[in-house]
Amino acid sequence: MKKEEHIMGKIEPAIPFPNSRFVHQQTLKRGRAIRSDQIAGQEIQETVGEIRLDDPRLSCRDVSVFYGDKQALRGINLDIGRHEVFAMIGPSGCGKSTFLRCFNRMNDTISNCRVTGTIMMDGRDINHNETDPVSLRVRVGMVFQKPNPFPKSIWENVAFGPRIHHLAKTKEGLHEIVVKSLQQAGLWDEVKDRLHQAGLGLSGGQQQRLCIARTIAIHPEVILMDEPCSALDPIATGKIEELINTLRKDYTICIVTHSMQQASRISDRTAYFHLGNLVEVGETKKIFINPLHPLTEDYITGRLG
Amino acid sequence: MNKQLKKRYAADLRFRIYGMSAVAMSLLFLLLLFVSIIGKGYTAFQQTALLLDVYIDSETIDPEGTRDRAVLSSADFGAVIKQAMQKIFPEVSDRRDKRALYRLVSSGAEFKLRDQVLAHPEQIGKTLPIWVPADGDVDMLMKGSIARDASETDRPLKDKQIAWIDHLISEGRLKKQWNTTFFSAGDSRDPELAGIGGALAGSLLTLFVTLLLSFPIGVAAAVYLERFAPRNRWTDLIEVNINNLAAVPSIVFGLLGLAVFINLFGLPRSAPIVGGLVLSLMTLPTIIIAGRASLKSVPPSIYEAALAIGASQMQAVMHHVLPMAMPGIMTGTIIGMARALGETAPLLMIGMVAFIVDIPGGIFDSSTVLPVQIFLWADSPERGFMERTAAAIMVLLLFLIVMNATAVILRKRFEGHR
Ligand SMILES: Nc1ncnc2c1ncn2[C@@H]1O[C@H](COP(=O)(O)OP(=O)(O)OP(=O)(O)O)[C@@H](O)[C@H]1O
Ligand SMILES: [Mg+2]
Repeated sequence: MKKEEHIMGKIEPAIPFPNSRFVHQQTLKRGRAIRSDQIAGQEIQETVGEIRLDDPRLSCRDVSVFYGDKQALRGINLDIGRHEVFAMIGPSGCGKSTFLRCFNRMNDTISNCRVTGTIMMDGRDINHNETDPVSLRVRVGMVFQKPNPFPKSIWENVAFGPRIHHLAKTKEGLHEIVVKSLQQAGLWDEVKDRLHQAGLGLSGGQQQRLCIARTIAIHPEVILMDEPCSALDPIATGKIEELINTLRKDYTICIVTHSMQQASRISDRTAYFHLGNLVEVGETKKIFINPLHPLTEDYITGRLG
Repeated sequence: MNKQLKKRYAADLRFRIYGMSAVAMSLLFLLLLFVSIIGKGYTAFQQTALLLDVYIDSETIDPEGTRDRAVLSSADFGAVIKQAMQKIFPEVSDRRDKRALYRLVSSGAEFKLRDQVLAHPEQIGKTLPIWVPADGDVDMLMKGSIARDASETDRPLKDKQIAWIDHLISEGRLKKQWNTTFFSAGDSRDPELAGIGGALAGSLLTLFVTLLLSFPIGVAAAVYLERFAPRNRWTDLIEVNINNLAAVPSIVFGLLGLAVFINLFGLPRSAPIVGGLVLSLMTLPTIIIAGRASLKSVPPSIYEAALAIGASQMQAVMHHVLPMAMPGIMTGTIIGMARALGETAPLLMIGMVAFIVDIPGGIFDSSTVLPVQIFLWADSPERGFMERTAAAIMVLLLFLIVMNATAVILRKRFEGHR
């Protein structure tokens, strides 16, 4: 049923996308001849690159998202591995945030938003009726584009999650979690003397790290980051990237970014989205050095987006 | 280019002048209001008292010497007061003159004396100096509200009475004192005995009921409609109805209260419970609308942040969204309560306009409220009630200022970490 919908949503492709490596090269050559604004309106059927992994943390099959009648994502197939930093790039409005929000079912909060297809996390369907979105969000944390600490003290900001999930039995235990999370987020030294001051009194970069501390305080397995550095200066960005680097061994991190440099610096694999389609997935190095798809190449060379 | 710049500056300046004059104008009117009310009302905070050396004659009040409370409380203390007056003016003998003389003492004097004797029965048989309230007209003369040089027929006090008053003044027996009666007493037919105590208590009890009902219901309704309710035809209908309800003239709520709470449910007339119920109906839409507006103004990022760390919808709203919306909700509540405090019309419908002397002790007792009391006094012909009307308005305004200050303090506390 879902499959049919997916197929019916497609129009006959103007550019054929054969699957073998050999023809890819040809397409690539042909793609260069086509101006990107001509391509922009076209439908892309198949994702290029290695979409499947052996032991994925997250596995998406035919994921489509609709806002009312408008389709924002078209049949995405993708695996995201364990302990991997996965970057998503693409022009504005291509559906990166929408895709990211599928993983913790934040799209549920938008009334006219509908998600089809399956997303498996550790082999279990997260959209299944029996999966509680609240407990899903404990396992899949999220950091937003704009730092959004609660209008409370730094300590309260971090303690809120562990408290509502009863992760600590005593106040001392709670404090320990707060301290550890702030340390992990690399914020401890800067705030240890002002734990009970307002979280909104911190600088933008500190606020963002506070939000990360808040997220890791409940020990999620996956951390989703939607352009976490877009409101920050290069130094604060550097700190966050460092932080991501230290977090990669414990968490699966999905990060949306508009900065190609950032994606190439921190991520293991990268996905390129275009107008609701997943165009290309692959190891970051490959994507940036030798993109397979003309759209990807146009984007990363700055001709598109 | 330069010319345009000049024009823009001129326009800026003009606009600023308009704004400043508008503000100045409104401040001026406010000042005028305050000056006129305070000018008229401040005298009511003082009251003329008369010092009498009262011989508490046991023959008159307790001829059998039983000292029984029932006997004492129904005893003729008026006669005792009259004796004391007679003692100061022994030369007055004509019956008409005597009556004129006795009229200088307020009818409240005997009650005051009675209360004193009931409290201290051992004083019977002794002479004791006691300050009793003077008549309202004496009070007015002392405050200069009755002109001495007007012709005798144009003023309530005759020449003879004024001569007696002058004699009392020269003996130091007439003095203006701080008017405690005004704050402690209920309503009375005599201005010198009337106070806002009853109305104040009635207002407080009514507002208490209103707040207790409308705040929790209003906030719960606002939270549900804003955050939990599905958007469909029914919720649209409810929303339209709430908005309409806010625009319904208040007297209609009074009629509704009369029909439903009094006639149908059989609640007592003129009681703060009914007043509070009616005013809650009136205040609810205000609180709901203000509550929804301030819930809406909470940045969605906060709500999302809470959800993203695994808070349930309820937790996100209760821990984060509602506290952030609280200052706005409080403001709405205070506006609603202030409106309720000043409301007269619906309370007239449910009988809170009755003449009530006793101070209400609970929400089921008959009572009146401040604005209705002001309305009642403003209608009275006696001059003494005029100053009391203004003084009651001052108290009402003070009440509002106190309410607003409380709101500001509460808001500050809620804003704590912002
Ligand atoms: N709440 C919504 N209601 C309707 N349409 C939406 C909504 N959110 C997003 N969309 C649409 O879905 C598409 C994808 O949006 P999305 O926010 O995922 O883009 P994005 O890739 O994150 O862009 P950006 O890089 O600018 O953040 C856009 O065309 C957008 O207009
Ligand atoms: Mg986005």
